[in-house]
Amino acid sequence: MSILIDASTRILVSGITGATARVDAERSLRYGSHIVCGVSPGKGGTSLHGVPVYDTVQRALAVHEVDAASIYVPPAATRDAVLEALEAGIKLLLVTAEYVPAHDVAYIVHACRASGARLIGCNTNGVISPGQSRLGGIGGENPDEIYAPGTIGICSRSGGMSAEISLALKQGGFGVSTCVSMGGDQITGLSMADYGELFEADPATEAIVVFGEPGTCNEQELAQAVASGRIRKPVLALVMGLFQEAYPAGVSFGHAAAMIDSAQDTASAKRRELAAAGVGVCASLDELPAALSHALELARTAQSKRSQV
Amino acid sequence: MYRLLEDQVKACLAAHGIPVPEGVRADSPEAAAAAMQKIPRAVIKALVPTGRRGKAGAVCFAENAAQASAATANLLGRSLDGFVTRAVYVETRVDIQEEFFVSFSFGRHGPRILLSRHGGVEIEQVFEQQPDQLLSEDIDPQCGLPPWRATGLWCRAGLAGDPRLPRLAALTSALYEFFNRTDALTLEINPLVLTQQDTLCVVGAMMAIDAYALYRQPQWQAADDQRESSNPRERSVQQANRLYPGGEAQYKELDGDIGLLVGGGGAGLYIHDLIVEAGGRPANHCVTPPTGGDVRKLKAVLTAILSNPNALCLLVGFNFAQMARADLRLQALAEVLRERDIDTRRFPIVVRLFGAGEALARQVAAEFPGIHYLPRGTSLRDAVLQTVMLSESTSGLLPRSPAPQERP
Repeated sequence: MSILIDASTRILVSGITGATARVDAERSLRYGSHIVCGVSPGKGGTSLHGVPVYDTVQRALAVHEVDAASIYVPPAATRDAVLEALEAGIKLLLVTAEYVPAHDVAYIVHACRASGARLIGCNTNGVISPGQSRLGGIGGENPDEIYAPGTIGICSRSGGMSAEISLALKQGGFGVSTCVSMGGDQITGLSMADYGELFEADPATEAIVVFGEPGTCNEQELAQAVASGRIRKPVLALVMGLFQEAYPAGVSFGHAAAMIDSAQDTASAKRRELAAAGVGVCASLDELPAALSHALELARTAQSKRSQV
Repeated sequence: MYRLLEDQVKACLAAHGIPVPEGVRADSPEAAAAAMQKIPRAVIKALVPTGRRGKAGAVCFAENAAQASAATANLLGRSLDGFVTRAVYVETRVDIQEEFFVSFSFGRHGPRILLSRHGGVEIEQVFEQQPDQLLSEDIDPQCGLPPWRATGLWCRAGLAGDPRLPRLAALTSALYEFFNRTDALTLEINPLVLTQQDTLCVVGAMMAIDAYALYRQPQWQAADDQRESSNPRERSVQQANRLYPGGEAQYKELDGDIGLLVGGGGAGLYIHDLIVEAGGRPANHCVTPPTGGDVRKLKAVLTAILSNPNALCLLVGFNFAQMARADLRLQALAEVLRERDIDTRRFPIVVRLFGAGEALARQVAAEFPGIHYLPRGTSLRDAVLQTVMLSESTSGLLPRSPAPQERP
């Protein structure tokens, strides 16, 4: 098991004939992703890597059953592509585009929520359930080199750190149930707490690792979900960007959203809040495997005590 | 994010049918004096993209050309919040009956309005001492802010039953429409004035627009980039962003001695924190977007890092590559090292770069004696520790290149 996607997930790729989409689609097919159709206006009737291409999502759905859409269109076309997929009734959407205007992001985040659809991104390199399926380019050419199957759920604000966390886990003898790069923008579809609750409900996930940054209230919301008992599985967190606190507020380093607006936005405030809620805060990935072993040990002991009672 | 100057904001508001006082930009005392022929009673404001100018003494009154000229002479060249005043805005003075506050920005879930019936220069005090006088509400972008919703908000802000309510609500609704149509990230109206003549007028306006939406906002393409850096190396990277396509590169110089080439995003933050924790001091932070074969922006950042006279060594630190090719990055590094004639035996470089194209990247690195390309599997932390050790042993060596280094 896993969250969001598994081996049975039927995938539509929107914008499949674009340069990145082509490469990702071919690699994903090789990995085992069940890509059933693609959409590219003006290319209907052709096929790519054996995947039939349609002019609209509606026309693709007349022929195929689809569970998820990977949307690869450029920023200026993202809003329309999301609305098209929503109108066709698709309930899981992933948007890879970076630099989507803020008003468009806000619009599609609300539209997805109103339709009861889940939006991963924007600005994500993807989600992977190792050994089963992936959406997006996460893992690159050879995902097996980075992502081993297992029982740890990962949610990262950074696509690059998704890979580093998974490698550190692999070296420590752990594997991954699902790894989500949630996107580093200020406004995203699902939030870190949303992913945490999905992992909580997934029987195949034993513990959760998150990677956070300065800016936004994702980490605070996660801390509240843990403190209130909505998330009971062990959670470990890395929150980076402490160095920014030595510089004036309003200076952005890296992700546009990784900008400190107020005192609650800093990496150190987030670390404090998470730690106070019972989350294990790590200063580096080198600490992660031992911290995870310890947290899992504690959880198992608590569970066996409960079952004895 | 681009912050606009008040004359730009006011012109745009007027073009959208929103009432603003008449005003003109003046870049000399003489121009301000001349403007007084059309504007007999004026407010002279420093044109800098920052708020709270009234509090900072950067807003003056003038009743005649001599006063306007003197006020302008006094304001020009003054620095506010790090922005130098290069022009002033000469605007018709409005007789105030009442002042309101309205702002739009983005919160965690989308656009958000903040409003108060107590606008004016003391708004910060209202924020701090009377937070109940400040109303904040998320706006559903699918519905926008129709006049009846704005009416409801102003009622909750204390104007229930007020005869001015319909006009205030209609203007608030029009301001949200403006915020949305112009792809603004923030729009702050303070004060929104009810004049002695009982009309509404936008008197104070600050605005920042979304750099990602410039493609559909051609009126802003010509906007001055107020953030232009005073550091020549930072400026050259800003220049590269204007010249070449692709994602935005960033280069921010700091006061340490370890040059840093990172991708940006999370791994860059992680590496930077680890360096500081290990006792090292980065000479810069940077963002290099994944290259799709066009390495010109990457080379601009590398050139900036390698021409910073304070950098004594370089860490090329990336997360395990899932998309970008390692060889393209190393080739760009090799080209800049040759262009700048840098002796890598005196300027050590640590490379932690794994993934696609790695074998080729290692061949490129092997041509330079001082490049330490770390073995696969080395953690980012170990790469950082090696770099910090090298930086400590490098200080005090001869200059790294025979050519004289330019200084700021």
